[in-house]
Amino acid sequence: MDFSDSPEVAEFRADLRAWLAEHLAEHADGVSYDSAEGVEATHRWHRALAAAGYVAVSLDPRYGGRGLSDLYEAVINEELAAAAAPPPPPIGHIAHAVADFASDDLKGRVLPGLLGCTESWCQGFSEPGAGSDLAGLSTTAAATDGGFVVNGQKIWTSWAMWADRCLLLCRTEPDQPRHRGLSMLVVDMDTPGITRREITLANGSREFAEVFFDDVRVPAANLVGERGQGWKIAQHMLTYERGPADMGWTGRLGNVLAAAQEAVRSGRLPADDVLRRRLAAVAVDAQVLSWHVARSLVDRESADPGSSGSIDKLLTTRVEQELYHVVDDLLGAAVVVGDQRPFSEYLWSRAQSIYGGTQQIQRQIVAQRLLGLPRG
Amino acid sequence: MQIGLDPEQRAFARASGALAADLAAGWDRGRGPHDVGSPEPSEKDWARIADAGWPALRLREENGGLGAGTVDVAVLVEQLGRHAVAAPVLGTLVAAEQLQTLGAPAATLEAIAAGELRVAPLLDARLLDFAPSADGALAWDSAGATVAFAPDGSAHALGEPLPAADVTRAVRRPTSPVPAAALELRPPTDDDRDRLHAFVLTLLVADLLGTMSAALDAAVEHARSRTQFGRPIGSFQAVQQLAAEDLVSVEATRSAVYHSAWAVDALPAAEALRAARVAKAFASRAGVAVCEDVVQLFGGIGMTWESPVHVWLRRAQTDRTSFGDEHTHQAVLADLDLAPGA
Ligand SMILES: Cc1cc2nc3c(=O)[nH]c(=O)nc-3n(C[C@H](O)[C@H](O)[C@H](O)COP(=O)(O)OP(=O)(O)OC[C@H]3O[C@@H](n4cnc5c(N)ncnc54)[C@H](O)[C@@H]3O)c2cc1C
Repeated sequence: MDFSDSPEVAEFRADLRAWLAEHLAEHADGVSYDSAEGVEATHRWHRALAAAGYVAVSLDPRYGGRGLSDLYEAVINEELAAAAAPPPPPIGHIAHAVADFASDDLKGRVLPGLLGCTESWCQGFSEPGAGSDLAGLSTTAAATDGGFVVNGQKIWTSWAMWADRCLLLCRTEPDQPRHRGLSMLVVDMDTPGITRREITLANGSREFAEVFFDDVRVPAANLVGERGQGWKIAQHMLTYERGPADMGWTGRLGNVLAAAQEAVRSGRLPADDVLRRRLAAVAVDAQVLSWHVARSLVDRESADPGSSGSIDKLLTTRVEQELYHVVDDLLGAAVVVGDQRPFSEYLWSRAQSIYGGTQQIQRQIVAQRLLGLPRG
Repeated sequence: MQIGLDPEQRAFARASGALAADLAAGWDRGRGPHDVGSPEPSEKDWARIADAGWPALRLREENGGLGAGTVDVAVLVEQLGRHAVAAPVLGTLVAAEQLQTLGAPAATLEAIAAGELRVAPLLDARLLDFAPSADGALAWDSAGATVAFAPDGSAHALGEPLPAADVTRAVRRPTSPVPAAALELRPPTDDDRDRLHAFVLTLLVADLLGTMSAALDAAVEHARSRTQFGRPIGSFQAVQQLAAEDLVSVEATRSAVYHSAWAVDALPAAEALRAARVAKAFASRAGVAVCEDVVQLFGGIGMTWESPVHVWLRRAQTDRTSFGDEHTHQAVLADLDLAPGA
């Protein structure tokens, strides 16, 4: 048992810190999703990280990764958070799906842009009629000469407004049982027949869209894996998407917590005994979360994360949502009147129990797949 | 003992609900924070509000008012919350009651009752109580108000709305004094102050009740009509259990509103205030928890501006903070209940 960094990890961490110390200010300016300039700055930041070798490091070097374990992805998330840098590009799960399932030809065509962050991607899974019940989706890709013709609609697709490509889960085998009828396609977002409509989030953020597909032609060579393999690939991706390390949340929550602790310590925010205890209680949970994440990451070096990612997601939800309750109560009236960033972060914390599979669905996965309880 | 609304109060609830719904229908949530409708009512809407007697409701007859009891006012305010009315009725009711308690001249109160003078209450910067002076104060639910009075009677013009979580009500800062509008006010007795405080807390609880019950109704409707896995999501136990606990919170809050509204007019002031603190402590926590559950029950759509869910959550959070959240009141109640010899 050893929770400390191995010499290799320690060296990697030190290099990254040095790189951040030198380059953060120059590359991270103006990053946001709220305006065209912000998005452009975000892409610049991602390209700088990629050029320095800090994107998708867990991928095979053949595909542009560094062949490191997932632990290193977590180190990147932690160190960026600790340096108050913007997050890395959220592409680990997409990169793994493509690297693990796509043909060499497809990998050769799309991975350099994905990993180099010269092209941005979105994940087209959810539909108006298929959220929790993802396998019930109805966007179709009919096989034709040399490819597919896609028709349907995706919704709540993060970053779709400016994405160059979409990893699309769609139905290619209407005669097959639901789960077996799905396939995964890489779709170029500038293909004729694609229309995007922006959806503003409840906190005003503008990174969401609805995407319509109207007779969109996709070449057969853009099929990821085999026809009918879509569900399997999606499940594989979601285990990566669910892990808190993949999303970089633990480091960011740690920052929010540390800022709250500092505000109380310095007297900038008054806190009575009740608030001090609540802050301590959530700090306890956050600390345990970080140990738990470290353990999950090490487990992953030897086995596919499988359903245990749902435990990580549920634990993260618990910590994040309580943390924002405590932080908001420390701020008091300043949350409801004045600069709306704290309120908007609080609102965002409510999404943690929805995206990537809702809290109810995650609990069901834990109960049925991990505890082995019977299905209702 | 008779607990519940009488036929007249039920009729008033229906009539105010109809107008509230109509006012709400004229407000546009827009496509995002940058084009959300203003909470300042049009001249026409404000005239309808004044015609309905809402600003006059609680003022005594000698002050041009209707002399309604707190239960009636709570009946109205529940409807304001239920329809998330984007017009400063609550702020007007609170300011009018404060001015009446401080002995403002009848002419001023008559002008408020008639909707001619548009006022807002001044709260301290932490929104915990009425402000002792205009210094650093915030004019609460003040869209369209032309003036706010400090307890010393000084009158203050108001600035632009500040950024705020609630999109249906505005908060503004007092800017410059308006000496010509100043009033002669007198300091309240302890009892008057406590009763005023109890009245205001009760109205916030009523607004929370309306907000949380509207949100829950919408979630239940959604759970009936939204199907996943070939069934309405409302048929899943996880969904039913969340919604069921939320109804427990709504019904308990209704009991708390009824009691604390009755208490304002029926019990000694200190007891009325204690009851109102209990109600506010309960509803602050329950109201926000219900609205958070409602976001969850809606799923992805609940996280977008396209759904009204966040409007309720914003309003509930603001009601919760205003005049003290559950922690504020629990602290006072702990002092009251746990002092040696209590
Ligand atoms: C911030 C954010 C970003 C997102 N980004 C993307 C993206 O990039 N790409 C993408 O494809 N999707 C994305 N989504 C969509 C997300 O995956 C879905 O919102 C989510 O899967 C839930 O589906 P739904 O919204 O249709 O809710 P529903 O499935 O309709 O669920 C509504 C409610 O019913 C409950 N429920 C449903 N089924 C059951 C059941 N069997 N048992 C118990 N309870 C149940 C849910 O828990 C929830 O409370 C995003 C969502 C959010 C909020």
